[in-house]
Amino acid sequence: MFIEKIEKTLERIRRDDPKIGAFIEVYEAEAKERAKKLDERLRAGRKLGKLGGKIFSIKNNIAIKGKKMTCGSKMLEQYVAPYSATVVERIEAEDGIIIGSTNLDEFACGSDNTKSAFFKTLNPLDHEYVPGGSSGGSAASVAADFAEISLGSDTGGSIRAPASFCGVCSIKPTYGLVSRYGLGDLAMSFDQIGPIAKNTADLQSTLGVITGRDEKDQTTTVEKDWQKDEIGDKKIKIAVAEEFLEGLDPKIADLFEELRQKLTEAGHRIDKVSIPSLKYAIPIYYLAVFAEFSSAMQKYDGLRYGNVGEVEELVESVAKIRGEKFTSEVKRRIMLGTFITTKEYQDAWYGKTLKARAKLRSDINSVLSLYDVLLGPTMSSLPWKIGQKNENPLEMYLADILTVPANLAGIPAGSVPYGKIGKFRPGFQIQAARFKDQKVLKLMRTIEELDSK
Amino acid sequence: MKTIIGLEIHVQLNTDSKLFCECPVDYGHQEPNTNICPICAGQIGAKPQSINKKALENGLRIAKILVCKEVLNQDIYFQRKHYFYPDLPSGYQRTSKPIATEGKLGNIGIWEVHLEEDPGRYELRKGIVDYNRSGIPLAEIVTAPDLRSPLEAKEFLERLERYLRYFDLISNEVGNMRVDANISLEGGKRVEIKNINSFSNVEDALNFEIKRQITQIEQGIEIVQETRHFDENSGITIRMRKKETADDYRYVPDPDILPIVIDERLLRESQATIEELPDQRTQRLAEKYGIESSDARVMVIEREFADIFEEISKTKQIQPQKLANWMRGPLRKQLNYRSKKTSESGLRIDEIRELYEMFEKGEISDSAADQILISLLDGESTTQTRKIRQIAEERGLLKNANKEEIRKICEDAIRENEKSVADYKSGKEKALFFIVGKIMQKTKGAADAKEIEALLKSKITEKDNQEKIKK
Repeated sequence: MFIEKIEKTLERIRRDDPKIGAFIEVYEAEAKERAKKLDERLRAGRKLGKLGGKIFSIKNNIAIKGKKMTCGSKMLEQYVAPYSATVVERIEAEDGIIIGSTNLDEFACGSDNTKSAFFKTLNPLDHEYVPGGSSGGSAASVAADFAEISLGSDTGGSIRAPASFCGVCSIKPTYGLVSRYGLGDLAMSFDQIGPIAKNTADLQSTLGVITGRDEKDQTTTVEKDWQKDEIGDKKIKIAVAEEFLEGLDPKIADLFEELRQKLTEAGHRIDKVSIPSLKYAIPIYYLAVFAEFSSAMQKYDGLRYGNVGEVEELVESVAKIRGEKFTSEVKRRIMLGTFITTKEYQDAWYGKTLKARAKLRSDINSVLSLYDVLLGPTMSSLPWKIGQKNENPLEMYLADILTVPANLAGIPAGSVPYGKIGKFRPGFQIQAARFKDQKVLKLMRTIEELDSK
Repeated sequence: MKTIIGLEIHVQLNTDSKLFCECPVDYGHQEPNTNICPICAGQIGAKPQSINKKALENGLRIAKILVCKEVLNQDIYFQRKHYFYPDLPSGYQRTSKPIATEGKLGNIGIWEVHLEEDPGRYELRKGIVDYNRSGIPLAEIVTAPDLRSPLEAKEFLERLERYLRYFDLISNEVGNMRVDANISLEGGKRVEIKNINSFSNVEDALNFEIKRQITQIEQGIEIVQETRHFDENSGITIRMRKKETADDYRYVPDPDILPIVIDERLLRESQATIEELPDQRTQRLAEKYGIESSDARVMVIEREFADIFEEISKTKQIQPQKLANWMRGPLRKQLNYRSKKTSESGLRIDEIRELYEMFEKGEISDSAADQILISLLDGESTTQTRKIRQIAEERGLLKNANKEEIRKICEDAIRENEKSVADYKSGKEKALFFIVGKIMQKTKGAADAKEIEALLKSKITEKDNQEKIKK
């Protein structure tokens, strides 16, 4: 009975979430209503959709019609989405149950979920630690058994980082595989919606539903064969870039070595390669993201969103609302993004950034033309304590060094936990060529099996 | 002093839906904010759909009319032009790189044509924003600074509009062409007058600007590069901003929009309908059919209108000049009165031909022809060609059918209006028209006023003579 499953889950949320802070809003009535309907349909002998009765949580930068869509920002504290995102429509059409919306760093700008304008989300594995971000509420909701699957968004690791910190699985699909219609913008050429779950099977079934061409997002592409298992029974050709291993937490390095050996024992081929341009991934990523972000934030002028009160004229309104309603990380990104796209500096900064992005993309692609996948750790460190990285934004940016290349190249990347260090189960990242998401899932399943042995 | 003028013309393209969503483009007659969706209202998370194909095709047709070089087989990006204004829901306007360059209209050079989306409408005084217009497809046409006088600028715009209307490329809304005019006096800095909404205002604004600049120069004040606004009520231009503080729009390619690629096939398919240009056709009609140039020009207001003229002119025994007179007069009047395009009037060539022939042969009067035309235009639309003779018969509008009746009505009228008859006989010509009017009323226009007048005159004379004989 789905209604019992929902009741139990709601009970758990009532008990534990006041502490963890995974949810911005819980849709208790709607979830129960939906569960009852599904039960009725089963009793009537009818079939359910592909996600029948699966409990979903949705990052609160994805539109659900009639529900608050805050994007973790004071600017949108009162904003109610007038329509549903394509992914939400598709999940509902296949009988998934949406139980609530989850917390995030403001406009998804952050790596540890301490940048939500409302409250901090704690890591369910240890409440003194961050859950990772920006989809921290999503990963925490899955780790704490508040939802079976959560949809997050990933611009430079925002799904994979929290999945790694909370010890769960996730995949950022190929750019263009999942519609972004209804996803609040961070950086449009990087953003991608993807699932977080406790196992790869749930990732696979969710992808089967949310992917595909959408007229409302013209960057979605039709790729007929992307669901095909190209590797089959063959052994997997794995590349490890030596750049992935620089500055790694020694405990994670040891665990990775253990994983490497087990995979080799299982007959998979693992080669070390070098992609020197990865060194530049962070500056390229942040410059490009700032530029797109400053454009995306342009609509917040105090006239349509956020109540600014009485102002005399437009410029004052824009300045006042942005001053009051955005937190410092968002302001920093808007200012830097605006600076590098001004006429005077655009060639020197933004133009060069785009060229460097193209170079990095082609370097990664040439490795992926020789190997099935790239393997490495998802994060170079274990979760840090809440408040530990608040002072220096650069330190926070550097935490993304391993996850941003996938978004720069538009390729799929998954994170799967292996082993244990204290309370934590660090994630390992698998990347493949564009539309080779099944190769990513293949190796994720392999590691999942090794981990359970 | 030489005057140098260049124009940027924003043309609302004739399409069924907006540039990046499926909302209807009708905004003039709708309640504010009814023709909107998350996309054109710039709601959070909404993304533009693929570009409206008809808008692109119409853009390419404009390129052909302006003899431009189309930008073929390469990525044409839409860019985001950032600025804050209440009518701009996303804080940026989507505007494409040129789809065509280096053309001309007459002897005026065209620098480029590109596509963009219209912002919404903001009423400053009421503080109301209406997004019904937001997202409507525009083509922006940029001319070279080849215009030498305000009058030339106005005439250029009128000609452009004539061409766009002829090929049905432009919307029907008020404000479907808006102009930014750049003007400098030889050796001086360039001043831009933004967003002028009529051609006569363009002429007025430029004339004012020339006087203003000359006065300044005479006073020894330097002309600065700036943007000005034309105030229609006072007829003067007012400074909006100086160039030093001008906006930096921070153009960046829009990551949500795939670049357009124009290939030969798209070009061929969209431009196939653009052959003879209106001015060429005007000249040809005048020469081939021997009609007045001014009449030919009216025939070519719309392509379908000219088609009707040519088609009916092929009929034997029809004199093109007479036909042109009738089309320019009664037919055009009824269409204009309803602000209907010929193509949307529901009129068919065969109907118009039959109607005109009956009128021309004198089977129906001009007012009867008018009545039938009105009934065709205002009646229910039908897929069948309507039989004009049948309509005329049903309504008793055929002249010959009721000649006897009219004669009788005239006789009655003479008897009933003795005073007017007497007045007429005493030399007051106008008294007769009073009687003619009465008869026209009675016959509901089936009779021909001229014929009735003649008939009355002869009847009165006849009666007079009879009375004289009696005496």
